[in-house]
Amino acid sequence: MSHENNRKTWTQPWSYREGTIVTAAILLLGFALQAAGGGMVLRVAAFPWNLVAGLVFLALLISAFVLWQKHQVMKWLGGVKAALPAILGFTFLVLLMGFVKQDVEPKSALVKLLGLTHLVKTWPFILINLYLMILLGVVTLKRLTPFSLKNAGFFLNHFGLFLVLFSTALGSSDMQRLRMNCYEDQTEWRAVDTSGKTVELPIAIKLLNFNIDEFRPKVTIIDNKTGQIELNKGKNQFELLDRNALDLFGYQIEVEQFLESSGKVGDAYFPVNEPGSAPSAKVKVTKDGTEISGWVCSGSYVNQPEALKLNETHSLVMLPAEPRKFSSELNINTKSGKNIVTTIEVNRPYKIEGWTIYQLSYNTEMGRWSNLSVLELVRDPWLPVVYFGIFLMMAGAAFLFITGKPKNGGTEHVA
Amino acid sequence: MWLDFPIYASVAILCWLAASGLFLSSGKKLMNQMAAGLSFAGTAFLLVFITILWLHIQRPPMRTLGETRLWYAIFLSGIGLVSYLRWKYKWLVSYSLGLAIVFLIINLQHPETYDKTLMPALQSSWFIPHVIVYIFAYAMLGASSLVALRNLFFAPTEKIVKGPIQMADNLVYLGFSFLTFGLLFGALWAKEAWGHYWTWDPKETWAFITWMFYLVYIHYRFRHPSEHKRAMTILAVSFAILLICWFGVNYLPSAQNSVHIYSE
Repeated sequence: MSHENNRKTWTQPWSYREGTIVTAAILLLGFALQAAGGGMVLRVAAFPWNLVAGLVFLALLISAFVLWQKHQVMKWLGGVKAALPAILGFTFLVLLMGFVKQDVEPKSALVKLLGLTHLVKTWPFILINLYLMILLGVVTLKRLTPFSLKNAGFFLNHFGLFLVLFSTALGSSDMQRLRMNCYEDQTEWRAVDTSGKTVELPIAIKLLNFNIDEFRPKVTIIDNKTGQIELNKGKNQFELLDRNALDLFGYQIEVEQFLESSGKVGDAYFPVNEPGSAPSAKVKVTKDGTEISGWVCSGSYVNQPEALKLNETHSLVMLPAEPRKFSSELNINTKSGKNIVTTIEVNRPYKIEGWTIYQLSYNTEMGRWSNLSVLELVRDPWLPVVYFGIFLMMAGAAFLFITGKPKNGGTEHVA
Repeated sequence: MWLDFPIYASVAILCWLAASGLFLSSGKKLMNQMAAGLSFAGTAFLLVFITILWLHIQRPPMRTLGETRLWYAIFLSGIGLVSYLRWKYKWLVSYSLGLAIVFLIINLQHPETYDKTLMPALQSSWFIPHVIVYIFAYAMLGASSLVALRNLFFAPTEKIVKGPIQMADNLVYLGFSFLTFGLLFGALWAKEAWGHYWTWDPKETWAFITWMFYLVYIHYRFRHPSEHKRAMTILAVSFAILLICWFGVNYLPSAQNSVHIYSE
C-alpha cells in the first residue's frame, strides 16, 4: 500500500486512483453536458443509425484492443482497478434513481436541469454506460485471447452483460409501445404512442368479446360517522365472501344467499344478468345476542351500493369485486392478408408479424360490464439480441453456482 | 389459517432455541446430532405450516411481506443446517437459527390478514420461481453477512481466520447466482406481463443496486484475496442495501404505485 501511496498520479501502472478520477470525470462531464443542454431528454438515433453506430463502436473497440493489447492503459481498462470505480459510479446514478421518483414532472429547477427525473435518458447515464461497455468489451477480448475453456464462465458473465447493455441502449429508440382502445364489435387500427401521437398500424383488430372473471367480493365494517373502514391493529380487515360463516370484529356473519349478478326489486335482490347488475348477499349478523339480517350490495356504475346498518356505530359493506382474470377475444387482420381469431389475457400476449399484443386494461368504472378493452402493442426488433445476452448471463450464473469462487483468486489474472 | 401460526411458530422457535443451545454448549457428537435433528424438526414444522397455508388460500403464499418472511425463516434455517452438515460450522447454524427466530417473531408481532385474491399480473408460471429464487438468494446472502459481522466484530485477532472467509465467498457465489437468476427471471416475466423487460420500477432499481454491491464484493475479493477486513465491510453494507430493497422500498416516496409493493 505504501508503495501505491508514493506513486504519482498518471504514472504507470494505473490503479484505483485513476479509475476514480476517470469515472468522476465522466459523471461530471455528463452532468455538465446535461445542464448545458437545458436538461433535455436524450434519445439514441433510430434505425439504421443506431446499428451503424453500434458496428462502428465494435470495430473501434476491437481494433484498439488489437493495436494496443500490450499497452499498460489497455491492461488497466480490462482490470478490476478500472472496473470497481466504474461499477460504483453507475451504482451512484442508479441510487439517485432509487431516491428520486422517475418519469414525473421535476419539482425544482436544479432537478430539471440535471435531468434527475428521467436519468436513463441523460448524458451522465449514457456516458457511464458507454464506459462500462468499453471496460466489459476489453475484459472480454482480453480473456478470449488465447481462448481457454477455463474462462467459459467468465466469458458468459461479462459478454452476456455487455450484450444486454449494448442492445438495450441501441434498441431503445426502435422500440414502439402503443396503446389501443378497442370497443366491442368495432375494428381499430390506430393506436397512441407514449408521447400521445396517433400511429396507424399494419394490423386491424376487432374486439369480439371482453370478459372479466371476478373473485368473490369482500365485506368489511365501516364507521357510520366517518364512513371510513374500521382498522384492526392499524390494518384493514376484510373477509372474502367465499364461505357461509365469517367473523369480523366479533360480528358473526352468516351468508344466507349470495347472488353473483343481481338487481334490486322492492326490498330484495334477485338474480339478473344485464349491464350494471352487481353482486349482492343476504346476511344474518349476530353480536352479543342481537341479530340483524338484510342485504348488502357492492353497487355498480348503474346501481347504488347498499350497506347494512348493524348498530349506532357500525355498518357492514360489500366492496367491489376484484378481477381474477380479464381477457379479450380478438379478430386480427394484417395487411399481408392474415386473419386470426385469438384470446389474450394478462400474462398471455399474442405475437404476430413482429408485434406483441398485450391485454392492458379496461373501463374499470364499468368493471365486468366494460365494453372497452385497452391493448398494448409492442414492437422491439432488438429483443432477440437482448434475450441472447440474458441467456448468456443465466448460463454464467449457472457457472458461478457450480464452480464457485476461482481457487487462486485474482492472482492469475492481475491487471 | 394464520390463526394457527403462533402454535407452529412457537414449536419451531423452541426447537431452534434448543438446537442452538446444544450446538453452543458442548462438543459431544451425540449432542450435535440431537441439535441438528432439532433444528431440522423446527424447519419441517414450518414447511408443514406453509403447505397447509398454500392449500388453504389457494394461491402461492408469496404475496405479502409476512409470507416472504416465512419463506426466509425456512430457507435460512435450512441453509444453516446444510452448511453445518457440510462444513461443521456450529456458530453459523446458531446465528442463522437466531436470525430465523427474529423473522418468526416479527411475523408473530404483525399478524397478517389473509387475503386470497391475487391480481391477474401475478398469475403467471414465473411467480413461484421468481420469488423462491430471490428469497433463497436473500437467505444465502444473509448467512454470508452473518459471517462478515462475526469476522468484523467477534474475530479473535486482527487476522481473520481463513476458513470462515472462504465460507462467506461460497455463500456469496451461490447467493449471487440465485440473485442473477431472480433478476433475469423477473425481466423475462415482465416482458410477458407488461410488454417490457425493464422499466426501472423502484423495486427493480433497488434490486439492481443490490446486485451491483455484491458485484463489487466479488470483484474486490477476486483482486485482493488477502484484504479481509475491507471485504467484510463491503459484504455487511451490501446486506444493508439488500434489506432496503426487500423492506425499505415499501416506504420510499419514489416507490408509490410500484407494481412490486407487497400487500400488508
